[in-house]
Amino acid sequence: MNPFPKWTNHLRLAIGVGGAAVGVYAVALFAYGASPATMNVGYAPQQPVPFSHAMHAGELGLDCRYCHTTVEQGARAAVPPTETCMNCHQRIRTASPALDPVFSSWSSGLPVRWQRVHDLPDYVYFDHSAHVTRGVGCVSCHGRVDTMERVEQQAPLSMGWCLGCHRDPTPFLRPVEFVTAMDWEPEGPAAELGARLAAEKRLRPSTDCSTCHR
Amino acid sequence: MSSLGRHDSAAPERGSPSDFSRRRFLQVMGASMALASASGCTWDTEEILPFQRRPEGRIPGSTQRFATAIECSGVASALLVSSYDGRPIKIEGNPLRVQEGGACSARSQAAVLDLYDPDLSRGLVQVHEGVPYPRSWKEFDPWFAAELARRRAGGGAGLAILAEPSSSLTQAALRARFMEQFPRTRWVEWEPLARTQELEGARLAFGRGVRTLPRLETARTLACFDADILGEHPDALQLSRAFARRRDPDGGEVLRTWVFESTPSLTGAAADQRLALRCEQILPLVLALELRVLEALAGGGSNSAALLGSGFLKDPEVAATLEALAQELVAQRGRSLLIAGPRQPAAVHALLQRINSRLGNVGSTLLHVQAAVDEARDPAAELAQLVREIEAGAIDALLILGGNPVYDAPADVDLRRALRKLALSAHLGHYRDETSRACTWHLPRAHALESWGDARAWDGTVCTIQPLIDPLYERRSVIELLAGMCAITVSARELVRAAVAGSADEAQWRRILHDGMVPGSAFVAVECTLLDFEVEAPRARQLALEVANAQLELVFAADAKLHDGRSANNAWLQELPDAITKLCWGNAAIFAESTARQLGVEEGMLVRLALGGRELEVAATILPGQAPGSVTLALGYGRSGAGLVGGLAEQDVDPVGYDAYRLRASGALHFAGGLTVTPTDRSVELARTQDAPLIDAIGTQGRDERVGELLRVITLEQLRHTPDGEAHAAAHAAHGSLFAAAPQGEVRWGMSIDLNACIGCNACVIACQAENNVPVVGREQVIRNREMHWIRLDRYFVGEGAAARVRFQPMTCQHCESAPCEQVCPVAATVHSAEGLNEMVYNRCVGTRYCANNCPFKVRRFNFFNYHKQLEQKGRDVQRMLYNPEVTVRSRGVMEKCTFCVQRIQNAKIDAKNAGRKLADGDVTPACAQTCPTHAIVFGDLADEHSRVSRRRADRRAYTMLEELHIRQRTTYMARVDNPHPAAGAHGG
Repeated sequence: MNPFPKWTNHLRLAIGVGGAAVGVYAVALFAYGASPATMNVGYAPQQPVPFSHAMHAGELGLDCRYCHTTVEQGARAAVPPTETCMNCHQRIRTASPALDPVFSSWSSGLPVRWQRVHDLPDYVYFDHSAHVTRGVGCVSCHGRVDTMERVEQQAPLSMGWCLGCHRDPTPFLRPVEFVTAMDWEPEGPAAELGARLAAEKRLRPSTDCSTCHR
Repeated sequence: MSSLGRHDSAAPERGSPSDFSRRRFLQVMGASMALASASGCTWDTEEILPFQRRPEGRIPGSTQRFATAIECSGVASALLVSSYDGRPIKIEGNPLRVQEGGACSARSQAAVLDLYDPDLSRGLVQVHEGVPYPRSWKEFDPWFAAELARRRAGGGAGLAILAEPSSSLTQAALRARFMEQFPRTRWVEWEPLARTQELEGARLAFGRGVRTLPRLETARTLACFDADILGEHPDALQLSRAFARRRDPDGGEVLRTWVFESTPSLTGAAADQRLALRCEQILPLVLALELRVLEALAGGGSNSAALLGSGFLKDPEVAATLEALAQELVAQRGRSLLIAGPRQPAAVHALLQRINSRLGNVGSTLLHVQAAVDEARDPAAELAQLVREIEAGAIDALLILGGNPVYDAPADVDLRRALRKLALSAHLGHYRDETSRACTWHLPRAHALESWGDARAWDGTVCTIQPLIDPLYERRSVIELLAGMCAITVSARELVRAAVAGSADEAQWRRILHDGMVPGSAFVAVECTLLDFEVEAPRARQLALEVANAQLELVFAADAKLHDGRSANNAWLQELPDAITKLCWGNAAIFAESTARQLGVEEGMLVRLALGGRELEVAATILPGQAPGSVTLALGYGRSGAGLVGGLAEQDVDPVGYDAYRLRASGALHFAGGLTVTPTDRSVELARTQDAPLIDAIGTQGRDERVGELLRVITLEQLRHTPDGEAHAAAHAAHGSLFAAAPQGEVRWGMSIDLNACIGCNACVIACQAENNVPVVGREQVIRNREMHWIRLDRYFVGEGAAARVRFQPMTCQHCESAPCEQVCPVAATVHSAEGLNEMVYNRCVGTRYCANNCPFKVRRFNFFNYHKQLEQKGRDVQRMLYNPEVTVRSRGVMEKCTFCVQRIQNAKIDAKNAGRKLADGDVTPACAQTCPTHAIVFGDLADEHSRVSRRRADRRAYTMLEELHIRQRTTYMARVDNPHPAAGAHGG
């Protein structure tokens, strides 16, 4: 006599299907979690002022550091104070309605409320100065900002992406004087120049956890 | 389910229901900042809010540091405060006060928590017919101005001002201005822990009330009589630094310290010779000592025989110690220093002044300065007089500037009842405390970090107080209130500038503010001539050898954490374990083992103390090293109006600890004989972080056997005879290790802790808490051994009973190269870095706690609850401002521990490389090492053989704990070196 009740005949099938479903779910979850969409690649929020990097950094050729002054000294590249905008816009386009938030900030003292585009998790301690002064160009992480009407996130900014460069930074190094040059290209193979620069500056980026997480 | 939800829905396992609100509050107070946006999820959006104009020199996301000061009991502590994006987040000492080197006391450091305390007063309150109404300065100012104007004609008669003593020049100038306009106003000062008797003693000896400044740099023999110069003294930081330097066995002639005290203090723990005596016995001891010293100086005589042959003085141990000390004092004449504590009566101070003068120590090991107006004062009598005048109707309006006199006035001065008679009573206070609640008006007082001011350090240096932030709520400083009363419209900044800098130009004034002090403003030493005076003979009780109930003395001790009670609502300090008793969240009456046995008192038992017709029920604790016959109770606890942390009757939050002020009468503010102790049959569980009962007797025995090996102490004599350090080294067979050698990176971080320098001041514990967002867990969780401090001070007793000596050992993650924790973590949440740091990866941790179990040093801390939960909620913005954004906030279920302040390491490395230079020794200083007043903790690169830490590691005193485990710690210790007198009693060494 069979000691198992009849419904157990389907158990093997149920376990098989269930197991497969778990496998598919796990793969799908990882694929979704690591996909560029999840990483917010292409994120380009509407800003209170339709500030065009394409115009300011591209056409007019302003250096990144004209506005992002603290990038070489501090962790943050710092969005400029209203005063920086007003240096020019006291005279130029003083009646443009698009600039209203800037003008009202100037008269009220309250900040312009910009939307953060490149947003790392709070447990990541990224330092701009540590990268810029070593010869990692702005373009490496932020893309061709000088062609963007509205700034968007182009790199995934994931831990794997960070580690890629930390394990071998040579393809991404350039002489420090060109860090803000958006269209700079190495004359020879990038890795060769990078290896030379890394040796000169004794760069050995760490992959220890505490480099970025404290 | 959230931790909080669980607590709210489940019945408490221990503690009273009121513990709920307190714990809830603790989670608020002690918690760290979690940015409002949920971390780890890129879909959440964040805004960037730049300045309209960015202040010069400000780099968003970087810290700026400003020199300021904080005043406590009329003495300034010079501070250097870090401000992150405009928010003060960390207090350190001002390194320009060279002797302190940036050190800071635990209490001063914890002041930053008060700034964001939601209980800190946020507005004015007027009580009308028993009902409190919120008010604003707009309503108060015109009303009060009219009130003053009405009194102007009478010269301010009927008005009294009760102020906290202050050394502020600005405040003194304003006071003079005010008294000019209102000459008949009474100005009374009250401060429960005023050091009046020191001045009275000097007046007895020299005819003038001079302050004594000890100069340990030149001393070879230091004798402290109930004087805790390393803990309680207002200048403890500088004295500690000098003390540690003089104890260094490689730093020239080594100091020998003799301590006579009732309860073990930090100085007693650091002493080479210690004798436990009742406070009352200090006077006869000093009398006998003086006679012996004079005889020895004269080369003979026997005046002292009668006194030496009586009472406790004939105890062989006391006699031997006294004789040895007298001989040494004479031998070290001009290089010895005798000092008494503020509890001792004027006679003791006067006698010691005379001995110091006779030995030629004045000008060498101590200086006299004129610190305040020279006038005989008895603050308790003045306060009593004020209360009598109020009762008699002579005074009908009282303005209380700071302090909390309703709580801390002598028990026989009923200020609360007197205040009920007054139609106008106003209290300017940080909190709506006991005094504010007894007054008709409560005026919110600005925190030191949000106001302008000045105060003088112990040596007289004028320190400036500048605001790090605008007042968060409408609060005013004493200076602003006084200026308003004098109808002065100049800003507080200008008033301070006029008072401290006078005619200095803008550049000089800016330099003063930058340095935080006025150069050359220290007091100048004065010459004093010794007068002839007599001291009355000691009474029989003071000489008694055996002490029975009713002959006991009760000692009122200033609390190392709460001082006079003012810091009672500071959760960091409440949870800070007392250095000696290891008690947190409360005080207890301290008994000697023998006294407790005689009286039938047991650990944790509630006992009734009766003194002078007043009674108080308190918990008892038994402490080795306590003098038989002496019972010590710390002041500052048992507050009913402190707030949700320290106790608030209004919201049914029980007081923390017991209010010793209820037994403290004007005649005996410091200690009093005639105490009776009645044990009850009830007991309470005391929260303490050490001495938890071990599982069995074998464990206890094992610990006692090993203490000497874990915490090594040798004598100077032994050290001199065994230069290679084998005196303290334990022999261990060299086993091979099963584990591969850890990577030896280019930089190898390491730490060295000098047990000879550590005095157990607890500054490192609070520094770490502030730097690393370490949460507060509350009394219940401490009882369950769930405290979260990343660094702790292990305290061991050596010896038995009253002769027991205290030893300290700071203990934090040892960053083992072959770390036992790493070997058992199933998810690689704790891993090693190339530089030798034992790293904790919070995101990987799943909370198995295997690592903590496998850690031989028990330094890992587990988040049993989300102690930060409350802070993540809306409306907590102000409290969130405190936390250090450089350090991740840990959540529930995650293990954490000391990181060697990895955020400081990373930032120092980035800064050095940005500047194109190599890291220098001293560029990286963890919070604990930075604040250590004695440089007991040194941190650096072991790969650099010239670094301080490498040199210390090569020292003959260096040793590694539990060397037999072969875990190769990066933290090593240096043995303590005692310098006991060869002939003195067994209490030495």
